[in-house]
Amino acid sequence: MARMDSSSKSSADIAVVASDVDYAYGTDANPKPILRSVDLTLARGEFVILTGPSGAGKTTLMTLIGALRSVQKGSIKVLGTELARLPAAGQRDVRRRIGFIFQDHNLFDALTAFQTLRLAMELAEKRPSYDEALSRAGDLMAALGMEKHLHARPGELSTGQKQRVAIARALINDPSLILADEPTASLDQGSAGAVIDIIRDRIVRAGAAALMVTHDTRLFSVADRVVRMEDGRVVEPS
Amino acid sequence: MRWRDWLPLQHPPGIGVRLIAFNRLRLLAAFAGIGVAVAVMFVEFGLLMGILNSQSLMATLVRGELVVVNEARTNLHKWDSMNRIRLNQIAADPDVERVIPVYLGNMGLRDPATNSVRRILVVAFPSGELPFAIGDPDAVARALRSPNTVLFDRLSRPIYPDIVADGEAELNGLSYRVAGYVDLGPDIIHDGAIVMSDASWFQRNPNARPIMGVIRLAEGADTDAVRERLIAALPDDVSFFTPEELRQREFDFTLRSAPIGILFGIGMLAGLVIGSITCYQILFNEIVDRLKQYATLKAMGFSEVFLRGIIIEQALLLACGGFLGGLIFAWGSYIYIADRTALAVTLSVPSVLLIFFMAAGMSVVAALIALRRVVTADPAELY
Ligand SMILES: Nc1ncnc2c1ncn2[C@@H]1O[C@H](COP(=O)(O)OP(=O)(O)OP(=O)(O)O)[C@@H](O)[C@H]1O
Ligand SMILES: [Mg+2]
Repeated sequence: MARMDSSSKSSADIAVVASDVDYAYGTDANPKPILRSVDLTLARGEFVILTGPSGAGKTTLMTLIGALRSVQKGSIKVLGTELARLPAAGQRDVRRRIGFIFQDHNLFDALTAFQTLRLAMELAEKRPSYDEALSRAGDLMAALGMEKHLHARPGELSTGQKQRVAIARALINDPSLILADEPTASLDQGSAGAVIDIIRDRIVRAGAAALMVTHDTRLFSVADRVVRMEDGRVVEPS
Repeated sequence: MRWRDWLPLQHPPGIGVRLIAFNRLRLLAAFAGIGVAVAVMFVEFGLLMGILNSQSLMATLVRGELVVVNEARTNLHKWDSMNRIRLNQIAADPDVERVIPVYLGNMGLRDPATNSVRRILVVAFPSGELPFAIGDPDAVARALRSPNTVLFDRLSRPIYPDIVADGEAELNGLSYRVAGYVDLGPDIIHDGAIVMSDASWFQRNPNARPIMGVIRLAEGADTDAVRERLIAALPDDVSFFTPEELRQREFDFTLRSAPIGILFGIGMLAGLVIGSITCYQILFNEIVDRLKQYATLKAMGFSEVFLRGIIIEQALLLACGGFLGGLIFAWGSYIYIADRTALAVTLSVPSVLLIFFMAAGMSVVAALIALRRVVTADPAELY
């Protein structure tokens, strides 16, 4: 797989630029530093895997890039928007263009897969009609091997199937950036591969960028780059 | 595809209803819990209105344009009598067609079966005139024309002996003929009533003075103008009211002077508090159970307003369901209370609306408090 050199790309081709990012939990009086001058760049069309030992700060970095936490020090530019000192409403707008895949599926037990996807489509810039929504949801679910479960509630699905609904929810609005934290942890190897293929496909077709945290070394080969973090620092940039 | 999938999932309405309706058993329990609180409000309010309406009953039954009472008679249950001369003075006004004196008193009605004597209200007036809408005027006139004849109030509480038409009733040791019935209704002071002619009343109380006068005006007469004239012409030991003014005055007096306003107010407040707490707990549990899902919605970019909308939608559904449950329960209670107390408790449209808005308000307030929990759902904790 061809590796891209993100540093040579023009700014329009850059999805994420984090530079000199520090982050500490705890209080101002008693800070617990986690990230130390982290630099990371993601180009559009690039699939980057973030790995490293537990407690290295991978999730922390992910939530910062996802505008789920406020930047304390340094600069993070996501899809053209500087996140440092960005007010809450601005953070929300950035998040709408990101597809989040969490470790847990976090589906509402009362909603069918289609209803979950339709709810997500409420956030699309142009809200689709019912029929459009149905066909888009149907296509995406089929691509995930879930065509039979479009109208199933979480209670009727296996863990892996639920996770695939959650992945469909993250992808339904064609996000420009996909952030996934161990999305395949609950999947068997076959479905894990299918999920990776879907993400890959989105990257290629929509020019999205993806950042995925995983410990699964078997998945490393599908990534354009593997970034390794240790003790709050990027130790192995490519 | 099930029918529910066709419901619009736009918001509102949609998700809130789907979420809270998902667990049917829990929803029914929630309806029942809030329904009980709503029913408490209904019953307290119904009793209060029943008492207020019963206390002012006589004013609502007046057949006339004006009522004259002793100026000292601050409420209908205070029996300051008037000088008869005043009624003659009023009758002298060219626009006054008739002034009907009304006498009130109490007598003891003996139960021949147990020999016990129960107090009963006596309403007396000239036999040819019917000052209150309590029966057919001609029938009442005919019946009261014969001396020592009474009509029994059929709406009296069932504490009196069986009074049969054309039977006998022993009042203060004397035998009266019961000619038939009228429909008046008890209040919290009087359990029942009988009606007799003023002539029969004078036989027992030769010095009786009227407690009120019901004034009937000539056709087309201007009530306010007549009242102005009467006030100017008569000494100020009497006051004039329209029946509606009298009813309102009685209503206000009962509400203010007696502790019942506070008593039932506290009862309603208790219902409101119970309902709010129940509603809050249900919503709080709903929110806590789905905190990660709400956090996910936040992460996806849904606004807090949107999340609030979901919870408020749930609250309104709870209010509607609880209200309906409470209404049905209250309906049954009203029938029971009316049956047992003979108070005028009825479900009026304004009272139903009032309680509905109280129920809705209570659940929205509960939602707003419970909402503070949703706001704490931190999407950063999801990874
Ligand atoms: N909300 C928090 N408050 C305080 N400390 C935290 C918080 N979240 C994470 N930490 C700490 O920050 C450090 C980095 O956590 P982080 O979750 O970013 O690591 P990670 O690389 O994702 O680890 P893992 O592979 O186990 O998921 C850990 O020591 C963790 O205990
Ligand atoms: Mg982690």
